[in-house]
Amino acid sequence: MSDDPPPSTEATPRRTPRAAGKAVPIFSLGRVATIAASTVTQLVRMKTFYFLLAFALVVVAVGNFNIPATPAKELSMIKKVAFGTMDIFAWLFAIVATALLIPKDVEDRTLYTILSKPVRRVEYLLGKLCGVLGVIAVSLVAMYAICALVIYSRESLFVSAEYEAMVASAQYTAAEIEEQLSLIQQQGLRAELGIAVLASFFKAAVVAAVTIFLSTFASSSLFTIIVSILLFLIGHAHHMASSFWLHESENNMAVQMLVKVIKILIPNYQLFSFSEGIVQGEAVVAALVWQMGGLTAGYLVVFLLLSLLVFVDKEF
Amino acid sequence: MPRLVLAVIALAVFGVLRAPLEEDLRERLVAANLLLPPPGQGAFEQMSQSALMGTLGGLRSLVATFLTLNAFEHFSTKSWDDLRANYLIITNLEPRDESHWVAVIWHIGINATANMETDLRLPAFERERRFKEYAFQAIDLAERGLAQLPDSAAIRLQLAEVYREKLKDDCATARVYGEIIGLPEAPSYARRFYGYFMARCPGREEEAYEYLMDLYREGERQHLPTLIKEIKNLEEKLAIPSPQRIPDADPDRPQKMPKTPANVLPGGIVVP
Repeated sequence: MSDDPPPSTEATPRRTPRAAGKAVPIFSLGRVATIAASTVTQLVRMKTFYFLLAFALVVVAVGNFNIPATPAKELSMIKKVAFGTMDIFAWLFAIVATALLIPKDVEDRTLYTILSKPVRRVEYLLGKLCGVLGVIAVSLVAMYAICALVIYSRESLFVSAEYEAMVASAQYTAAEIEEQLSLIQQQGLRAELGIAVLASFFKAAVVAAVTIFLSTFASSSLFTIIVSILLFLIGHAHHMASSFWLHESENNMAVQMLVKVIKILIPNYQLFSFSEGIVQGEAVVAALVWQMGGLTAGYLVVFLLLSLLVFVDKEF
Repeated sequence: MPRLVLAVIALAVFGVLRAPLEEDLRERLVAANLLLPPPGQGAFEQMSQSALMGTLGGLRSLVATFLTLNAFEHFSTKSWDDLRANYLIITNLEPRDESHWVAVIWHIGINATANMETDLRLPAFERERRFKEYAFQAIDLAERGLAQLPDSAAIRLQLAEVYREKLKDDCATARVYGEIIGLPEAPSYARRFYGYFMARCPGREEEAYEYLMDLYREGERQHLPTLIKEIKNLEEKLAIPSPQRIPDADPDRPQKMPKTPANVLPGGIVVP
């Protein structure tokens, strides 16, 4: 018996192994975009946009409250309720949608198919996050459009009614009428309200990033949702509550430590509530909006890396 | 080391790094009035559990709006003390919203006092006591509002209405209208009203006369019936010599009809 390998035949071409062929890039934006697009489709199929109907109902109902208030006050109320509801929908949607995605992929076994392909786990996580953010952005724009429509129609109605009443009374000069109408218009539809929508988006984006981190080690979607909501509430309240606790406990050392730990580990969501000031009619400071955008990006990067740290070696 | 522990350590490092940056941002957002400072201790103590949860959960504006609707319920049932209590929370939650201050001053200073003037279920002395109590509560609320929004013309206008309509205090009314002049959103009539009420304030007639005459000299635009009437009253009070008096007729006195010649009959028929 000879140990020599059999002589190769020139007639049958040798098949080269796959690895020696075309190299798979370490990171591909195309793959991220594909996963993001499939996430959007997945969320749309979950009929998530139906909540817009509930939102429209809330805004229209508030727009038709008949309370004895000045037109400016009534417009201010409509704006506050509409933007407050928009904010709730955005962060709640960010939590629920993100918490459902990874467990659903595991349940449907889609995750195994995806990860058996040359798709990096970072691409998978980033794609999922981008998909959720895309749906949140579209939802916010749709909610803003509904809200803008209601505000604009009420504003036009109030302005014309006030103008007619003031002209009919014949007691006011043209300048006084102009002053009164500008008071109403100040509380009406303004371009700055778009920044308030952006603020809600920033908040929802951070919430989604935190939720995706939780879902990488959570045992169930329910756990992720509950913990994310609790973290959101704590993250919102810790600044307000810490001064109250410290005052009540007379600056007890243990309470001080607890407050510090909470501040370090849990994002300060209250910072992202700057839409409230804009809705109330305060002037927007562009530099601050940019800085908040930077902070949001920082949160997204850090929480994505943390998610990757846990997710990279996870076995399914 | 398990990766989750590593992640928590990394999270803590990120927390330590971002804390000073966030504190600085928070201070600047509060300074720009984009972020509300924490509500006062009193607001937490007075709030119901659900309102407290909502406030802590970042729904401050929504809680304030729903409390405003609740206050309207109290307005419908004329529960003025409950309404005031509601607005104390609302103004604590959103101290920079001018409309809340204006609304509560209007409700307590105008509506509650008007109710005390007409509510015959109460004895007269009790109505009078509560009338004064509500009027002074409205003044106190206005002062609190002005401490938060020192440049607010709307709060001052509402306060002036309480002094003018309810307390009939012309000197205080004039003082408040005087404070409004020059404020960013001051209505143009505030200048005239300052003069009108100063004219009715005992001891300030001469100052009022000079002030109103300055307004009168600004031109036709200011020659409004009330201004002319106030000047006419002051001319009488201060015994201004006839040549210095304004030529306009007193709008409250019936206009003298031009004398028709004796030979003209009604219908313009001239009798030769």
